[in-house]
Amino acid sequence: MKKMRKRIAILLSALLMAMGVLSGCGKSDSSSESEGNGKIVTIKAQTIGAEVTRVENLKKAAEKLNQELKEQGKDIQVKVETSSFDGSTDEYAKQFMLAFRSKKAPDIYTTGHENIGWLADGNYILPLDELKQSKAYTDVFPPLWEAATYKGHIWGALQDTEARPVFYNKDVLRKLGWSEEEINSLPEKVKNGEFTLEDMTKVAEEAVKKGLVPYGIIHRPVEGPDFHVMVYNFGGTLYDPKENKIVLDKTAVKKQLDYYDEIAQKKLIPKNLTQMEWSNIHKTVVNGKALFYYGGIWNVFNWGQDNFHEKLGKVDEKWVNEHLGMMLIPAAEKGGKPITLSHPFVYTVSAQTKHPELVKRLLELVADPALQAKHDVETFHLPVTKNVLDDPTFKANQTLNSVAYMTNYTTFLPNHNGFPQYSKAIFNAIQAVELGKKTPEQALQDLETQLKNDLGDQLKIVE
Amino acid sequence: MGSALKKWKLPMIMLGPFVALIFLFFFLPVVLIVILAFTNMDSAMRWEFAGLANFQKMLEDPNLFKIMKNTALYVGFTLLINVCFGFVLGILTTYYIQKEPVSLVFRTIWMLPRMSPPVVYVLLWLWFFDPSEYGVLNSLRALFHMEPVAWLHEHPMTAIILANGIIGASFGMIIFSSAIKSIPKDLFYAASVDGASQWSIIKDIIIPAVRWPLMFVTIWQFLSLITSYEYIFLLTNGGPLFESEVLALYSFHKAFQNFEFGYGSAISLVLVIIALIFSFMMWKWFGMQKMMRSSKIE
Repeated sequence: MKKMRKRIAILLSALLMAMGVLSGCGKSDSSSESEGNGKIVTIKAQTIGAEVTRVENLKKAAEKLNQELKEQGKDIQVKVETSSFDGSTDEYAKQFMLAFRSKKAPDIYTTGHENIGWLADGNYILPLDELKQSKAYTDVFPPLWEAATYKGHIWGALQDTEARPVFYNKDVLRKLGWSEEEINSLPEKVKNGEFTLEDMTKVAEEAVKKGLVPYGIIHRPVEGPDFHVMVYNFGGTLYDPKENKIVLDKTAVKKQLDYYDEIAQKKLIPKNLTQMEWSNIHKTVVNGKALFYYGGIWNVFNWGQDNFHEKLGKVDEKWVNEHLGMMLIPAAEKGGKPITLSHPFVYTVSAQTKHPELVKRLLELVADPALQAKHDVETFHLPVTKNVLDDPTFKANQTLNSVAYMTNYTTFLPNHNGFPQYSKAIFNAIQAVELGKKTPEQALQDLETQLKNDLGDQLKIVE
Repeated sequence: MGSALKKWKLPMIMLGPFVALIFLFFFLPVVLIVILAFTNMDSAMRWEFAGLANFQKMLEDPNLFKIMKNTALYVGFTLLINVCFGFVLGILTTYYIQKEPVSLVFRTIWMLPRMSPPVVYVLLWLWFFDPSEYGVLNSLRALFHMEPVAWLHEHPMTAIILANGIIGASFGMIIFSSAIKSIPKDLFYAASVDGASQWSIIKDIIIPAVRWPLMFVTIWQFLSLITSYEYIFLLTNGGPLFESEVLALYSFHKAFQNFEFGYGSAISLVLVIIALIFSFMMWKWFGMQKMMRSSKIE
């Protein structure tokens, strides 16, 4: 049903988009008006999904900004209008393009960092280099700026980040004869490189063979960032910043495809995993039908929102910590470094905004540790600045504190505008391998042809 | 001058809005597609001329052969169901069921899917093909203790052909019914008196009389099928992989999912050319010249 709704929305947005291309112009919204004792400037901010604190925090920041403006004796008051898009990321991008073409783009467009490539190339957004020097962003976790950088400029104000751990089912490990000490020290063993990817597959195999779970491993059913972390894990790269090209690292990608082939051949994953609905993935994990799950820390938030558990319905953080553990993605080799991938969200500023200075001030104020902590705790995300770690609200959250160390092991997707095509092609290859339609060798060969065709001279092939 | 204006005033008022609409919604999009097909427009939406690059890319596209094959299979088989089944329904509701109220009820039932929104119609098929044991087909299998099958993943082409074929048949049924009804009754009476068999009546009276509607339905349905993708999009979205991807859907995916507007338009342009060639061939094949002559029946 969700897929259906998404597809209907895609049809409608495509229609709207075609109309937008046809018309190419429209009247722009007036974003300032006079009222009573001052000029009111309206700033529109948009986000996607249920994590509305991303834009609600901007309202709180506006209160502070208005206070500052008043103290400075300026006759301006800022009003933030927020909206949240309900649909897929593709549709979210499309509706922004359409809104931009008809000069109705929101001033602040909140999006995943990997979109800044096409947004910057298409002159949709403004560079925000000065934010890096701003006091509010001085103690950003250093690797995170990489995610907001494209062609040497900063294009987004970092909003949040996350950890993408592997969830493991403690109950299943108990049934396998693991002691409490062994279960609780698993994240540490992974961290030290003692428990590898191969070990993880073996344990999953054992659990399935003994009939303790129907599936040993489960991953996301649709295209997305998680799959690419395996290229990094197998020592490969995805992007060459010097040449600004997407990299097809054939050796690493072959190992990546081999991995998905192995877990499919050993029947550790559901037969039609890549066609499953997201809700069924959550149900499988929460009801203990899979031992390992390549998930995201925000899933704890998702499991508390819907009735995924057959008996309990919604499950809270306490329940999750009792039944599931979280670890880094184990290293591919013994003694190697484990890995995870972060997908920071960024606030981008529309090139059409009439109030760039006010928007930038707003983006400085929204980095306030208390506001970040509120968002992080409510939606299970990680902060972008170190000072949030000392915030009492954040400190009190056991789950977030237990995964905060993962930021040190994190990697990012490239910001290149051709990456969405690479990502779709890789997903198709993985799907073909898992469905048994192609061997990893065939899939790699077809992938190379496909990427050469899709990306042309934007692709660099590394043997 | 004044008389000419007077002469054309009414036709202009009557036809004007439709000519404007045809220009705006039929002619202009084709012109736009032609122009866009020669650009490399992407997410930045810039009109940059790229020569024949999109067509060269199409020739090297590793998925295109599979998609062309899918398109031929989909259009061919669906058209066959649309026309043949529509014809059978037409004969059934006019020649075999002579009582008008009964045939009307029958025709109305067959028209129901066409009257319902595509989303509702596809929802019924999704329920029919549901991979769990609760799906209609799988519940029937369960009666014989057979395992549930993920129909849409294992037989996606069959599913989209059936869904489109059945809904399309009602269009042919209506056209053929009216054509059969217009055949003078005397011909049937004379054939009965002469002791003609049922097959002979269909072959020698009905089929020659519906040749013109037959051509119309075939061309019309062909053009609809080659350019439409909404049922496939809602049912399988072209998957798994490219198993049920057809050219029109591929163009949509390239333009609105990968934001390759130039390449998507080039694919659409190929579709327009295929449609034109096919229409011309059908025109010739059905002997348009002969059909324009006055009917032998009347």
